[in-house]
Amino acid sequence: MPIQREDRKYPFTGGQTVIVTAQKPLDEILDFLSPYSSILITGCDGCTQPPRGLREARTLAQLLELGGKLRRKDFNFKVMTMPKQCDSYLTAAALQPQIEDMEAILSLACGLGAQTIAQVLPHVPVFPAQDTLFMGAEIREDSTLEERCAACGDCLLAMTGGICPIARCAKSLLNGPCGGSQHGKCEIDPEKDCAWDLIIKRLEKLGRLAALDEIHPPRNFGEVMRPGRVKG
Amino acid sequence: MFLEIEKCQACAICYSSCPAKAIDIVYYDMSSLARYLENARDEYRSGSLVIACKGSTPSFEDVGKLFGISEFIPLSVPCVGRIPAEVLLEAISTMGIKAIYILACDEDYCRFERGSLITRLRVVAVNALLEQLGYGKEVIRFKQRSLKVKADRNKCISCGNCVFYCPYSAAKLEEGAATFDLELCRGCGLCVTLCPALALDLEDWEEERISTLISKLSREKTRPNILVMRCQWAVFPELDEEFDSSVHIIDMPCAGRVDPLHILEAFRQGIDGVLIAACHEEDCGSKRGSKEAQRLTTALKKTLSQIGLEERLHFCSVAPRYPESFREELCRFKERIESIPSQEVRR
Repeated sequence: MPIQREDRKYPFTGGQTVIVTAQKPLDEILDFLSPYSSILITGCDGCTQPPRGLREARTLAQLLELGGKLRRKDFNFKVMTMPKQCDSYLTAAALQPQIEDMEAILSLACGLGAQTIAQVLPHVPVFPAQDTLFMGAEIREDSTLEERCAACGDCLLAMTGGICPIARCAKSLLNGPCGGSQHGKCEIDPEKDCAWDLIIKRLEKLGRLAALDEIHPPRNFGEVMRPGRVKG
Repeated sequence: MFLEIEKCQACAICYSSCPAKAIDIVYYDMSSLARYLENARDEYRSGSLVIACKGSTPSFEDVGKLFGISEFIPLSVPCVGRIPAEVLLEAISTMGIKAIYILACDEDYCRFERGSLITRLRVVAVNALLEQLGYGKEVIRFKQRSLKVKADRNKCISCGNCVFYCPYSAAKLEEGAATFDLELCRGCGLCVTLCPALALDLEDWEEERISTLISKLSREKTRPNILVMRCQWAVFPELDEEFDSSVHIIDMPCAGRVDPLHILEAFRQGIDGVLIAACHEEDCGSKRGSKEAQRLTTALKKTLSQIGLEERLHFCSVAPRYPESFREELCRFKERIESIPSQEVRR
């Protein structure tokens, strides 16, 4: 399997945003790849967690090759990775030299990556190897990725002690916990912390409980007109 | 004296140092060493003996280069600290050995803490004695080294895995890429296995070298074809260790260097079963190598279950203090593999 890599033209800082993805079942991937034989598998060295770079791309190629044989199907995979699949310029530059003789592309990036490829290569079918789950934070010590920001467009972390109830409360409540908060855990999933319990304890510690005296009116979810777009 | 067997690492430094010769060992005792040397002298037709610690090198070719010799009798032992002075003296005085070359690990790297230091002191003493007896100066040459990580800054994606997982805090993220303090690196290879960008490699245990070995072994025609990747500290092989031709062994510097990519490669090339033999978690000399190897194997088995191959991969923990534990695991695994109908996916 030849491995290609774009030379990095900028210093990589990494890790500002973390898009959490989960690999799709192999059967699902094999199903949509079945009409094709020569397939380019491309990782993304951007923010996806766990990192979906060259190692994941090679691992997936090996697994699909093994899975393909079970279906009496021989694939010809080419494996590469690139810096940021959500960047149309970098993605086009990285892919164009690689797609000759390739019938399809399998992307290991989040949904943004696959869509960027669809945009820059209108004539090549592209498939996602991942289900994109959420924007998360990485808690290394517990090997956990947790959703902490819902990209709502109207950030209220200033009032809630730096803990977001929109993303972290199962009911996205604005004014304190519901009756289902038990011993600091959520009634929907007792494995998870009650966000409002965390908020109150933290504000108490900071001596800022008064921040909760104000009643928050319903949010303005129109702050970001969906689909979101920022120009400039 | 009382021995707490569950704490014993079978390093045999107590055996080699006991002035009363009150301690005996299972692996590499005097008579098996003598037998080995006798056979090896005829086989290698050389009067030079190289004794190397498993920890510091995987390839005797490289050891030869290090000492500037090409023909020699190779003897690989888990820690050279287990070789008593008597063996060195006897090899020179009665077994026809003219020169001995000893390669130990760096002293702060020694898996058994004192093995390398003790050997250095022992070599000085034995050399002095041999000189007095008229065998000449420095009959025994001694060198120390250790394995280190190799990092390619251009491939690094700054994910921080190596920084988090390194048991010795040798990795840092600096100026947008991982950098390593090689003084702290102990060459366990865990960061290499966990690097998502394949930006790291381990000196002497390069990804390429292991891949080539797997390709070579998988060409063997005997069925079932079993690949064992075992931590060199979890199993101390007998000097005349032999398995039937269907079992292929690769000794690894630590189970943490067992790379899921290599396991998949083995399956892809037609290996029927892969057995990973690691130390028990509490014995692991590189702290978290065994634990992470188990985590990675479990995750890989889960993925392999989607294509019906999970039964062909097995992780076990063994220890040299229980000499039969590895063979028993291997035997059970082989039986299991034999009971699975022939691999559908084989080419």
